[in-house]
This record gives sequence, C-alpha cells and structure tokens, in this order.
Amino acid sequence: MLVTAILSGLVLGGTYALLAMGLTLQYGIARIMNLAYGELIIVAAFLAYTLFATLGLSPVWTLFIAIPAGFALGWGIYGVLMQPLVRRARTPAGLEIDSILATFGLLFVIQGLLLVSFGANFTSYSYLNVAVDVFGTKLAANRLIALALAVVLGGAIYFALTRTLWGTALRAVSVSPVSASLVGIDVDRAARTAFALGGALAAAGGVVISMYQTFTATSGVVFTMKALIIVIMGGVGNILGALSAGLVLGLAETLVATYVDPGLTLATTYGLFIAILLWRPTGLFGRAAR
Amino acid sequence: MLEVQGLSLHYDRHVALDNVSLKVGKGETVVILGANGAGKSSLLKGIAGLVRPAAGSRIRFNGIPIETASPHHVLETGIALIPEGRGVFGDLTVSENLALGAYARRARDERETSFELVFGLFPRLAERRRQFVNTMSGGEQQMVAIGRALMSRPELLMLDEPSLGLAPVVVHELFRSLDLVRQSGLSLLIVEQNVRLSLEIADRGYLADAGRITGQGTASVLLDDPAVKRAFLGAAV
Repeated sequence: MLVTAILSGLVLGGTYALLAMGLTLQYGIARIMNLAYGELIIVAAFLAYTLFATLGLSPVWTLFIAIPAGFALGWGIYGVLMQPLVRRARTPAGLEIDSILATFGLLFVIQGLLLVSFGANFTSYSYLNVAVDVFGTKLAANRLIALALAVVLGGAIYFALTRTLWGTALRAVSVSPVSASLVGIDVDRAARTAFALGGALAAAGGVVISMYQTFTATSGVVFTMKALIIVIMGGVGNILGALSAGLVLGLAETLVATYVDPGLTLATTYGLFIAILLWRPTGLFGRAAR
Repeated sequence: MLEVQGLSLHYDRHVALDNVSLKVGKGETVVILGANGAGKSSLLKGIAGLVRPAAGSRIRFNGIPIETASPHHVLETGIALIPEGRGVFGDLTVSENLALGAYARRARDERETSFELVFGLFPRLAERRRQFVNTMSGGEQQMVAIGRALMSRPELLMLDEPSLGLAPVVVHELFRSLDLVRQSGLSLLIVEQNVRLSLEIADRGYLADAGRITGQGTASVLLDDPAVKRAFLGAAV
C-alpha cells in the first residue's frame, strides 16, 4: 500500500509541479499574479475531454494542440489585457494589484463561458484506465503516462531555463528587470514570453490532469490556489523550488489521504504551507530578504 | 562620439536635468563631478534609456539619435552602463552574469574572446565562475559588473559611482582596472565621488550642480582649480 501511495503521490506531485512552474514563470518574471491561471488549466482539460469524446483523440496528441494554443492564448492575453497595466504601472506593487483585479475578472469570464458550454457537472473520460504492474503494485496506465509527461515537460522547461542563454535571460529579468534591460534584454518581450510560457504549461497541466482526475467548470480556483501555495513554498520565481514543493505537496496529500483520511487533504495542504512559511519565510529555495 | 545637446529630464514636476550639453570623444575618459542631487545619475540614466528625456533633448552616439531609444537599443549602439549599486544579478553565477553581458546581438559572436578578455583583466573571476554573485565581496561584485559590461563589447562605458561602498584599498584596485580598460581604447564616462582618483585617470571633467553643467576643463586644470579644491578635495588639507 505504501508503494501505491508513493507512486500516486508522485503522479499528483508531478502534475502540481508542472502547474506551479507555469505560475512561477508568470509571477516571477512577468510580475503578474494571474488569478485566472486555473481557468486556463480547466479550458485545456475540457479541450482534451471534447477531442477524446468526439474524435477519440488521445490526450497525448491533444498536448500538441494544447501547448501551442496555451502559449498563443497567454501571448494574446498579455498583449490585450496586461500590457496596458504594465505601461501605466508606476511600481511593481501597483502592477501586482492591478493584475490581480484584472485577472480576477478574467477568471469569471472564462468560468462563465465554460459553464455555458459544458454545464456544472463533474466531467471525466476513461483513457487507458487499465492496471499496470509497477514495483509489485498496480497503478492505472493513465497515471503513469501523466507522471512521464510531467517529468518530460517539467524537465524540458527546467533545462531550457537553466542551461540556455535564452532561459538565463528570462531568469535575469526575474532577478532585476532594470539590470536585465542594461545587458540588452528586451524586458517587455521577456515578460510576454514568460507569461505565454506559463499559459503553455497551464494548458499542458490541464490535459495531464484530465487524464486521471474528474473536474468541473468551476474547479479552476482550486488549482490556482494550489499552484500559488506551491509557488510561495518554493520561493517566487524559483523553478527548482516549484518542482520540489509540488512533489512534496502531492506526496503529502496522497499519504494523508491514504493513511489518515481523504477529507484532510486540503488541511494538509495548508498545514504544510504554514509550517514551511514559519520555518523559511521566503520559501524552501527563496532568496534571502534584502 | 557621444554628443548630448540640451538634455532636460523631469521626474513628475521635479527637474533633474536642465539643458545639459556635453561631449565624450573616442578613447576619451570624462568625469562628471558634483554634489549629491546634482543630476549626475539622471544624466547617465537618460543616456542609457532608463529614463525618457524631455522633448527637445538630443543625444547622439556615433551620429545615431538615441534620446528616445529603449535601454536594450542603446546597448546595441555600443554604450554600456554600470548603474549605481552595480546592478549585478546576485542570484546568478559569475559565468551566467558574464554570459548575459554578451546577450546583445553586437556581442554574441565574440563571446568566447570576450570571456578571455574579462578573465585576463580579472583573473579572480575565472577562479570563481561558478560562484553566486551575492556571496561575493563588494569589490568582486564590482569586477563582475565591469566584466559584464565589457562582455557587451561597448565603445563607451558609463559608470555611476563605481567606488561607492568599497574599502579604500579596493577602490585603488578598481581604478587601476579602469585605467587598463581606458588604455584598451574604450571611452569612459564616470560619475564619481572620489574626485582625486577619477581626475587622475580622466582626460576631461565637467562640474554639475542642481541639474546644470556649471563648468568644464581638462583633468589637470580641474585638479588645480581652487573652486574644485574647495568644493570636492578638502582645500584645507
């Protein structure tokens, strides 16, 4: 039972990590607190569901549509909704407040559209729901694929951000936008790229989630909250932090649900959140206060 | 090479610069002297594109107008600014900082030679290339800042108070490095509180006060100027 719990925890944690990486890119680099982040996840989940139900398209193929579409959507939302806020913001704190209000509105617009199109019912589809033997225990094949996808996508983004000049430039913007502009980085474009990448990761996460979880048109908020908690636990803008905090949270939730009580998962999430913040106020890998 | 004509700059209603004109020639080292709040930093920020100058200001670099250019465009023309407080990326390593210095299109192809050049000038950076910059001393961070600026292959290097917060020994070391940079043929525009040291490596200087240029002269003349001595060098000594 322990092995099963740990494997399920890794699946959930891997998905969380993927989602949190997207949010930490948007928040850490573009400096936009996107409250509609979870809605993008759910849109992608419904996309995977619709394509599976109507065309029988495997969600793995849907990723090839969802990731570019998520990027394009993020790019578009930034240009239309965020750029005017960035232009008129006098301080980073001002931008944060403005972006929270704007994306709070966007949240309900997207949620409303989803409710009209799909209703408020729990939605799921059965994709590769067959048991596979792993380390002497049985796990659904769709969960294994979800885990593999989270590892591959998360690893690719992590590699791109830490090992390429392009990624280093994005991280430089998160450290100091002014200094970044002085080494020749177009900060506005970098912010837009980071926001769009966040959209791509949200879309990828949504497709992965839909493979093994039930979701509704209104469950985006839960994912935004969890991603936000992971981002803060890992340290804002910290990719490695988001990865590890996501895995920790997924494991903790699953272990508590298995051994204590499934009703306590949300309490576990917040308990862990508070504990880590008391221990390390800037997050697991956060920067020292300055 | 750099020509600033009638540069004015406001922060809301506060006038930081009022009709400032100055020139920096090729290979020339120029210092700007002035008390706090004289507008020296604003001048460098205005040239670098960090602050938009008022209408009617003219800044030309090698004949190219840059008064409305964004910072990354200014850098591509060949001007690098080391801001006050150095502006290094503390959470990144030495080599990441330097690699980002060569992010500009004009510098990318020469990245490897630039690395050699910087490590030749500051061997200590070569030893510490994997170290995070925020764990380094102030003097070492200043080396990273200068190294990173040189990586962009500038023709004009601007420094805003490079000696601020450094121990006297380190300041001397810093000016020795700047002298080497100057000898390599770069133009330097320096805002500095250490008047004596900066005038010693400079060709010319400008005096700034309350957002205006109030005087100018060659470095040797300024060093002997009684007004400069009284204002900056502590004439009583």
